[in-house]
Amino acid sequence: MNAPERASSFLLDEDSGERKIVYTTDTKVTNAGTFRLNKEDHTVLNLLRMQLLRDPGVRFAGYIHPHPLINYMELKVQTNSSHTSPTEVLSNAIEDLGSETDHLLKEVQNAMENWRKENQDVLGN
Amino acid sequence: MPYQRFPRVEILSIQPQEIKFILSESDTSVANTLRRIMIAEVPTLAIDLVEFHENSTVLNDEYIAHRMGLIPVRYQPAESLKGSDCSDAFLPHRECVCYEHCMRCSVEFELDITYKVTGEEDVLAPLTVTSKDLVSNNELVQPAHFLSQDEQDEAQDEGVAIVKLGPGQRLKLKAIARMGISKEHAKWCPVAVATYRFWPEIHINDEQMATLTLEQKQELVDTCPDRILELDEVTGDIRAVDNAWDICTYTEDLKFAQAAMKKRPEDDDFVTVTQSKDRFIFNVETTGAMDADEILLSAIRVLRNRLNYLAQELENLKDM
Repeated sequence: MNAPERASSFLLDEDSGERKIVYTTDTKVTNAGTFRLNKEDHTVLNLLRMQLLRDPGVRFAGYIHPHPLINYMELKVQTNSSHTSPTEVLSNAIEDLGSETDHLLKEVQNAMENWRKENQDVLGN
Repeated sequence: MPYQRFPRVEILSIQPQEIKFILSESDTSVANTLRRIMIAEVPTLAIDLVEFHENSTVLNDEYIAHRMGLIPVRYQPAESLKGSDCSDAFLPHRECVCYEHCMRCSVEFELDITYKVTGEEDVLAPLTVTSKDLVSNNELVQPAHFLSQDEQDEAQDEGVAIVKLGPGQRLKLKAIARMGISKEHAKWCPVAVATYRFWPEIHINDEQMATLTLEQKQELVDTCPDRILELDEVTGDIRAVDNAWDICTYTEDLKFAQAAMKKRPEDDDFVTVTQSKDRFIFNVETTGAMDADEILLSAIRVLRNRLNYLAQELENLKDM
């Protein structure tokens, strides 16, 4: 009866004007802000957090999932100086992860091709 | 891109139903993201709507519909499109412009089985309706009956059993398969197993090892329940066996056994086994809906698209 919509964990509610990312600057901490990522989960958030922490310009990066039935994540980021904004470092982190994924895809394709070449006899073709 | 990693991949084995590989020079967060995407976000096809025309079997409509949903449905791309997954051939049904469903966003299966009785049979055994009885309207999409020939040989039925019919019973239905991800329902999950283990780093302390007699070394080798150590016959040194990475379970027993052997409790361990932070052994088995290597490639593409999407959304945020 009160079951949530089946797609509510991954499809943006566009009828009510939901956006993927909403950013709010922190009013109490300098160079800090909170990103609210709608319809995301640990899959991407943990990846982003770990990548942000590799950046020496990031003083703090952490995320919370408010409740298992809530489909957004909040990512808090604080940078070291006012020259780099949290949006910038996040953007860099995503770019780095993107190129890492590209590299990974090529690497996997090569590895598979090589494995097939080496094991042709075993496969019998 | 100053903080980028360049991960490496070594394939251990590829079979249609299983892939094993090692991901290295990366991070747990990457390994876990990959695992989670393979489990929950790789698009596949599964039966989502079932229209019953006649059902005089012992199972009710909902029960049969649920069982139909769990049958793996396989999309086999044409030779020219090899390496693509079902998202290249189908539209998500929510994005399709059609009224209810169409060829672009769904596949239809027909099933019509009647247990006819002529009256001449001596024994009337039940008739099993299986996934083999489903007739697809798209030749590229078929139910996956079994993962391998071995599995087929061992099975009693021709395909995946749906329901058993008694004499005179009939099942007639139309099933509509759609593309989806397993975040919505587990029937869209392409993997049965998707796990990673940490690579074990086995370090042997030569200095400490020199204090042991040959008998004590042999005892150390024998006490390890994983059998990851062996004694070199010639030099009398302890070393890790070649397949130690495969059989290691990080058991505490080795630690306890060593503590008892030490001269002083504060001495260093003879052998330490720790989990690597950047090397992971992956094991992925499929349900039959896709080939195992396809799942891995598809998962990486899903991640790439997601990151692109997030980067784009972040750009829009800056402009606001």
